[in-house]
Amino acid sequence: MNKTLSNKEEMIRLVEDYLGEDHDREVVKEIRQYMDECPECRIYIDSVKDTIKLYRVTQFESSIPDDVSDRLFKKLNLNREA
Amino acid sequence: MNSVNTDQTEAELIRRAKAGDGKAMSALVDSHSARIYTLALRLMNNREDAEDVLQETFMIMLEKLDTFSERSSLYTWLYRIATNVALGKHRQKKYVDNYISVHDPDFEHIRGFDIQDWPDHLEEKIDEQEFRECLSKAMSMLPENYREVFILRDLENLSTRETAKLLKITEANTKVRLMRARLFLRDQLANHFKCIKGIS
Repeated sequence: MNKTLSNKEEMIRLVEDYLGEDHDREVVKEIRQYMDECPECRIYIDSVKDTIKLYRVTQFESSIPDDVSDRLFKKLNLNREA
Repeated sequence: MNSVNTDQTEAELIRRAKAGDGKAMSALVDSHSARIYTLALRLMNNREDAEDVLQETFMIMLEKLDTFSERSSLYTWLYRIATNVALGKHRQKKYVDNYISVHDPDFEHIRGFDIQDWPDHLEEKIDEQEFRECLSKAMSMLPENYREVFILRDLENLSTRETAKLLKITEANTKVRLMRARLFLRDQLANHFKCIKGIS
């Protein structure tokens, strides 16, 4: 029978375990096995991973408005190259 | 231009800027200002303060470039400066968490675990104005001590150790804040998806 995500404490532990760091091979194996037996956990973890990914995608769109850039160069007393 | 040439070009610009070449200094400012402004905007969460951080960061660059040892990239050096300036402003203003608190250990505010598959092709939603506003609003609701960790760890890809050092907190605390920030943001987006389920 499949496991289910039964309470908040389990949700928090799951995220800590799965998205944490410094796991040795045995722990990773144990987590993967747990996830295989708990489809809800897999969906939940995937949604947390998606959240991070979405913010990363938007992060790459670095831009600076022209007026902000103009004031920066003025403040630095530098000429902006054409 | 490949990365070697880019690195060589930047190294040359740094050498010239250190020697007092204004054009080289302008080129360095021009090539890094957008990323630094984006970082500042995320850390400060408002345009006015972000612009202050941007200006102070590059003022420091002008003043201290001769001390830049080039052991790291110029961007790494600049974002450390920008982060320190931003954190200093947070401490000065003693920002209060006006929004939903994520300090409580029980996480009562997190409605928790709506287990549902999220919409497919999420990346395509990035172009939707409503969705971008949702991402931005969720981030703005996150208190800054959690936002800082999320930005530095998950968006800027700093290690836990580097993040802890910059923020002057323990590595354990960094991990807890990161986990809570991720859960909080995930929860906010889940609510958004629930609202738009009928139209997506």
